[in-house]
Amino acid sequence: MSLFQSLRGLFRSSQQQCIRSISTTPVPLKGAGGGGPKKPSSGNKPGGGFGASGKSVRRSQRGNDQPRDPKMINLMRHLAVLNPKRIPAPLRMARNRYLRHWTIHRAWLLFRRKQREERERVWMKQYQSMNRACEELRLTSGPDTRPEGYLFRVAMEKWGVYGLKGVPIEYARPQVETPPRVAWSHDWKP
Amino acid sequence: MASLRGLSRPARGLPLSQASLQTFSTSSRRCAASQAAAAVAVEELAELEDSALHTPQLSPEEKEEFRPWKRQVDREFSLPSGRYTYHPPKFSRGPLHPIQSPPSSDPTARDFVPGPFNLPRLRHTYLSTCASDIMTLAYQHVPPGTEKKEAPQRLRGWDGSSPYHKNRPLRGPRGSAVLAIREKDINFTNIPELKEITVASFVPKALGDKDYLLVCRNVMLALTGTLPEITQTKADVAQWHMRAGQPAGVKTTLIGNAAYEFLDRMVNIVFPRIKDWRGIEATTGDSAGNLAWGFGPEEVKLFPEVEANYQMYAPRMIPGCRVFVKTTATSDRQARLLMQTLGVPFYGEVRN
Repeated sequence: MSLFQSLRGLFRSSQQQCIRSISTTPVPLKGAGGGGPKKPSSGNKPGGGFGASGKSVRRSQRGNDQPRDPKMINLMRHLAVLNPKRIPAPLRMARNRYLRHWTIHRAWLLFRRKQREERERVWMKQYQSMNRACEELRLTSGPDTRPEGYLFRVAMEKWGVYGLKGVPIEYARPQVETPPRVAWSHDWKP
Repeated sequence: MASLRGLSRPARGLPLSQASLQTFSTSSRRCAASQAAAAVAVEELAELEDSALHTPQLSPEEKEEFRPWKRQVDREFSLPSGRYTYHPPKFSRGPLHPIQSPPSSDPTARDFVPGPFNLPRLRHTYLSTCASDIMTLAYQHVPPGTEKKEAPQRLRGWDGSSPYHKNRPLRGPRGSAVLAIREKDINFTNIPELKEITVASFVPKALGDKDYLLVCRNVMLALTGTLPEITQTKADVAQWHMRAGQPAGVKTTLIGNAAYEFLDRMVNIVFPRIKDWRGIEATTGDSAGNLAWGFGPEEVKLFPEVEANYQMYAPRMIPGCRVFVKTTATSDRQARLLMQTLGVPFYGEVRN
């Protein structure tokens, strides 16, 4: 049932996102196909006899005497699960249940909004701090006999930021709850 | 809660906490001592519990009187259906039609997808670390009081030789219909971010044998978790026995968390396993912050989703694919900076 719920989004357009819980193993459509792949000789034509799944898939162009590859039949069944005909009707909710959902949804939106605003506030503060620091540097003379703004010009040099070595590869390590003891294995060979 | 639905109405009147506490026991063995303690705890909790979902307890007389089946049988005519029978429309009939689909956030909508259920670790890393680092790296100070440079007009005007030139909109640039995007300085409002990832695959062999397209659709479905859209050939090419409008490829677009998950899989699983791989060519990009690269069939086989069921697809039929990474960056170098922080290495000549 959870599989069908996850496929609900696929109904109207193929661009809809679907969560990653789709199993990559083929789902045996016992109701439609009657168990495993049927022998093509049992029906009149190859590729026939798959219930709703067989009708929607165009027949292959090969001659009738040549049997279809069982792997392809398997893949056809795999796609047939996503046929719009197989996706169940949308949920129906009465008033109170719907209102509960609506309330929770609004709360979730509010929570996300607060999180986003908090993030943006932090970025804004960091940006303003950089701005103030650079302004301070610009109006400072020194060290030693250096003229005013020397440190500012040095700080604003952007050599190599946009180059290929701008970010070291060791930087790109996704944060996880259980990081490894050795941060980066330099001796790793594939 | 689902198990409660099957109970009779008086049993449903029990406080929810009590029922749930009794159903979920930590061990399969039942001990008298622990049960007694649990019962005490339940009584204590029941006083604390205050939920609008509770119904009042029924008295024995009320229970005796409560016989809905009797009323149903005795009724001479059937009542109209009390159920909420609204069905969202199956097809969109345009923005001006009175029948409109509910928003996809609505649980009764046909395209409703529950979730999100997780925060991808790459997105978490981006939000907590990468974004502010990119902003700091690319910070360009503008002293207060600096005059703003006027951007030159890139659209061409009309010379006014005809009276009809009056109020005409400006013309596009000469030689191309597209006005290239201008790079913007990064500040806290426009930090480059991953927008979406499009995965496309062209299978010319599908013109001769439809099985190639079938395998391609299944591989893309496994890779992205979305049902890919079939693309048609655009041109007639006699040498390749190709006519315009034949199905010969698939494409699909991932947005949001799914895009981050896909990029995470590429960066951490696929890229390190490609043999003699130097990185992504640094000349990639459309100069508007969108980068692209491709995988051959051998590299598609390295994706864990394909690898797990490698024999399910005919291995010789597994297609290659192209990956288009779209970002909110306004130039290629900003997009490359973003991709480098997310773990995509680049090599070779840097163009823009």
